[in-house]
Amino acid sequence: MSETYNGHDHPHEETRTGAESALYASRIRAIEALLVERGILTKEEVRRQIEYMEARSPANGAKLVARAWTDPEFKARLLSDTKAAARELGIDASGPVEFLTVENTPEVHNLIVCTLCSCYPRAILGRPPDWYKSFAYRSRAVSEPRAVMREFGLELPMDVTVAVHDSSADVRYMVLPMRPPGAEGMDEEELARLVTRNSLIGVSVPLEPGLAG
Amino acid sequence: MASIHDLGGSPGARSSIEKSQHETEDWERLADAVTVALDKKGIKTTDEHRRAQESLKPELYKSLGYYERWVVATEILLVEKGILTHEEIDRKATELEEKWG
Repeated sequence: MSETYNGHDHPHEETRTGAESALYASRIRAIEALLVERGILTKEEVRRQIEYMEARSPANGAKLVARAWTDPEFKARLLSDTKAAARELGIDASGPVEFLTVENTPEVHNLIVCTLCSCYPRAILGRPPDWYKSFAYRSRAVSEPRAVMREFGLELPMDVTVAVHDSSADVRYMVLPMRPPGAEGMDEEELARLVTRNSLIGVSVPLEPGLAG
Repeated sequence: MASIHDLGGSPGARSSIEKSQHETEDWERLADAVTVALDKKGIKTTDEHRRAQESLKPELYKSLGYYERWVVATEILLVEKGILTHEEIDRKATELEEKWG
């Protein structure tokens, strides 16, 4: 198959609204109504699932990272069994999907992508950002990760190895970034505010103290 | 030869990364919830959902938004499994539009 499309022709594939989307909005409402009529799903199950997703956000990842920075034993548990470590902090990531936390070090920087679709640690971080689902990110994260990170403002030294992790339906990754310089005396809550969503994906690093809002 | 969904390293998607974020719409939340609720009930799987998306013609795959692809794939699987038909979804969609305008 030849590659005929040019990303510039569809730069906003995730941001379209209006008439085109109305067709699909109408379709999913019809599907839901029929599934409820047939007793395949209940309205309550749909509502609970919406709530489940709304309750998830990058703040969960920030909590896990801040604890790992302050508690080496927790960090070991986070790296060996992410779901169990999340449960310790009241984050329910149960289900068939496996989670792997990958640790940034002075030698290795990790970056997460899903080239095939948009697999993401949703049970912990919520829905992925639009750019994560874009064709440009899915294509370029594996072929030129440094150029991608540069677009997010991160220039990595050439002696740092970049490890790109391609997620799947079965395995989702999250990055454990390095604690930024100047964050030595901070408590967990202050540390969590330094951890951005983008640093949990690996396109950037945590904020430095003084820059966090 | 790579299929349309297999974008890793694809030279066709070399544009810079658009970082703007759109506000999630209600129908997108619904598409997400219905799709995942069907997984949780064992009616379909994530792998099947991806396979259904991957079966779309390249032109369609490229032109659809993210949750539009989810809706299409969920419909494909429900029809494939004999749970719903395209025709009854058409009829219900028309009925709801007439009701809600």
